[in-house]
Amino acid sequence: MTVISGSDIREAFASGTRWLESYREAVNSLNVFPVPDGDTGTNMLLTMRASLERASQGGYASASEAIGELADGAFWGARGNGGVILSQFLRGFAQGSKGIESYEGSDLALALAEAETAAYGAVGQPVEGTMLTVIRSMAECAREAVAATGELDARELWAAAFAAARAALTRTPDMLPVLREAGVVDSGGMGILVLWGGALSHLTGLSDEELKSHLDGFAIVGQAGADEMDRAFLEAIEEVEWGYCTQFIITGEQLSPDQIRQHLSGMYESAVVIGDEHNVRVHLHALDPGAPLSYGASVGQLSHIEVQNMTEQNVDFVSGHRDARPPTQLAVVAVTAGDGLIRLFGDIGCSVVVSGGQTMNPSVGELLDAVQSANAENTILLPNNKNIVVSAEQASAGRSDLHVIPSKTVPQGVAALLAFNPEDSLSSNLHSMLAALDAVTTVEVTRAVRDSTVGGVEVAGGQFIGLVDGELEVATETPEEALRLSLEEAGISADLVVTLYLGEDGVQEDANVLVSSLESDFPGVQIDMVFGGQPHYHYLASVE
Amino acid sequence: MAIKIVTDSAADLPPELAKELEITVVPCNVVLGDVSYKDGVDIGPDEFYRRLVSGPGFPTTSQPSVADFQSVYQELTGQGDSIISVHLSAKVSGTMNSAQQARDSLESAEVHVIDSGMASIAQGLVVADAARMARNADSAEELAGKIRGGLSKAHCYFLLDTLEYLQKGGRIGKAQAFLGGVLSVKPILGMRDGEVHPVERPRSRQRGITRLRELAEQMAPVSQLAVIYSTEAQMADDLRRSIGDMLPGDQIITARFGSALGTYVGPNAVGVALTQA
Repeated sequence: MTVISGSDIREAFASGTRWLESYREAVNSLNVFPVPDGDTGTNMLLTMRASLERASQGGYASASEAIGELADGAFWGARGNGGVILSQFLRGFAQGSKGIESYEGSDLALALAEAETAAYGAVGQPVEGTMLTVIRSMAECAREAVAATGELDARELWAAAFAAARAALTRTPDMLPVLREAGVVDSGGMGILVLWGGALSHLTGLSDEELKSHLDGFAIVGQAGADEMDRAFLEAIEEVEWGYCTQFIITGEQLSPDQIRQHLSGMYESAVVIGDEHNVRVHLHALDPGAPLSYGASVGQLSHIEVQNMTEQNVDFVSGHRDARPPTQLAVVAVTAGDGLIRLFGDIGCSVVVSGGQTMNPSVGELLDAVQSANAENTILLPNNKNIVVSAEQASAGRSDLHVIPSKTVPQGVAALLAFNPEDSLSSNLHSMLAALDAVTTVEVTRAVRDSTVGGVEVAGGQFIGLVDGELEVATETPEEALRLSLEEAGISADLVVTLYLGEDGVQEDANVLVSSLESDFPGVQIDMVFGGQPHYHYLASVE
Repeated sequence: MAIKIVTDSAADLPPELAKELEITVVPCNVVLGDVSYKDGVDIGPDEFYRRLVSGPGFPTTSQPSVADFQSVYQELTGQGDSIISVHLSAKVSGTMNSAQQARDSLESAEVHVIDSGMASIAQGLVVADAARMARNADSAEELAGKIRGGLSKAHCYFLLDTLEYLQKGGRIGKAQAFLGGVLSVKPILGMRDGEVHPVERPRSRQRGITRLRELAEQMAPVSQLAVIYSTEAQMADDLRRSIGDMLPGDQIITARFGSALGTYVGPNAVGVALTQA
């Protein structure tokens, strides 16, 4: 019987991450909606990269130490829905590995059981037919194998769990109608399978060809999806040019985070310094990353150094972040994308706006950094995207000073923010902001990235689709037509207020024509058109 | 010996009500172009709003002078009467200052100067209540204590078409939080602790009027109720009808923002004020 040591487990997940890298686009292309969805593959990959970065030193004395580091890194780097659930999976795995020097089969079964519990705990309402089902099958298989055989080789158990994961993934379309309609398996579940399989290849010497044959069996309907999204992804991140995002940890004795913060925040933008007398984490934006690193080295030992050219960084703090903010009682932090929307959120009362959205999900760590820079006794977080709600809730877990209003769309976020009154108490604000979410109907118009049938609506790739409160309702040839039909579906009528947010791909003249015709067809309706500049969505609209 | 009630024109009391309750209203000053007018005396609302909207320039307002108060106080106390003088919040205007200086200059007279902490018809309701109580009061000092004790029962909510006038007039204060943004919103402001506070940001005027009604209803039961408007009487009528079941219709006051307040609320403003029972 062979056991799995601390360095084995680290190398296994490193191998899994390499496989995730090569399957990233395959996982991305499994997105169910013909919308450029949250890039599950990319998010899971970025989360694993953060996990490995944390566990980069190697030489672990025990498996529990290694998995603890991996889980910690994933927590701070978690991105998007899939990434957050993955980070919780690792966190549970680590909790179930306490005191384990090397895994035996039964230890792995215990760790998987904890991982399952933690993953389910990460989402408010667990849905079967998703990566959760895949994780549950792995844990169940491990439990049964141990019960049946008493003791089992850890590597054999890993292989058995892989087979169980694969079987469960195959069943996901039977459990979730939306997957069946689209003819795909669940993307997050596929991500888990790839990660676990990649780890298996390291642990057992399973050949690349063999692993590929297990992974490639899943039919992927769309082809355009992945390319389309990556292009959008890259375009979105090219917007920012703020030098280098520089992050590192200073380790030493009797460190003063306050002094370090004071020194750095005077010289650099977006300086965020957290920690204690032993470890201080520094994040800042510098035109020359060398200088802050030299300063850090003069204070203590440097580690976890990460310097990223900001044009390659997909998420950034955008406004309200340049100067240290004076402390306030109550602040709002929101996530949104697009020049116009970022400005709008700032204008109507947001202290800090984090740039992000449909294909750029900020990590838990970035949300927490933004909350820190808001510098308020209590902070209200508006995720404004259903994929970011989970990250936001993760960020607020265990914190009594951070409150998530689960806005799933930008119009919901605007309505909630307009209900915010800095003069009122926290509880009264939470109450009215939450109530505001239900008072608006959201319409989103985007271009379908591939052919599919969703909710009985047939969509051809390249068509414009309209979603009403997240449900696909129309597919047609122009964005204006999609908007008009969706607004009718949303119940546009006299006495209502309609707000249109024109996206970066929208055409002002076409929008003006549409507004005039809506005004004459629905007398009494108030239509406000605003430049949102958001990517992907030609129009966002609210009816209230 | 009677107790006489004095206020300033920022109370926006309808002239007939002031007359009926024997309230002396000291006019504030509004300067349009190069000319200073006495609010409600030299310039009426129709002409004021016409010139506010079409310009040129932007009006400025100033409190009544110490001399204005002195002459009123002297005239009223000359008959041996005492005075209760209730005014616009000291946090938004210097009116209190003028009144207090005038009082201090008159050594023998009994004048009680009270900061209503309110503005417009909410201040007006406090004053009207004081005038009714004054009829049966024996001691001006006791009555002044009673009025001060009841100030926390006065509330008001004003629905503005825009914050532009409040900002131009330099009185934006805490309503600053509701400034900005390209979205059209109709801010609702209130008065608390003598200051203007942001209350809500409805997206349309109609929604705003509904909210005014709801905000008023949350304060029920009420002993006095008023609606007020700047330029559109119809808006006040609609609001009055919608809150008509809170008090018998003939007891609900309809008032109009004079030039002292109109300078800041601007055209198309509407509001509700009340005192809780």
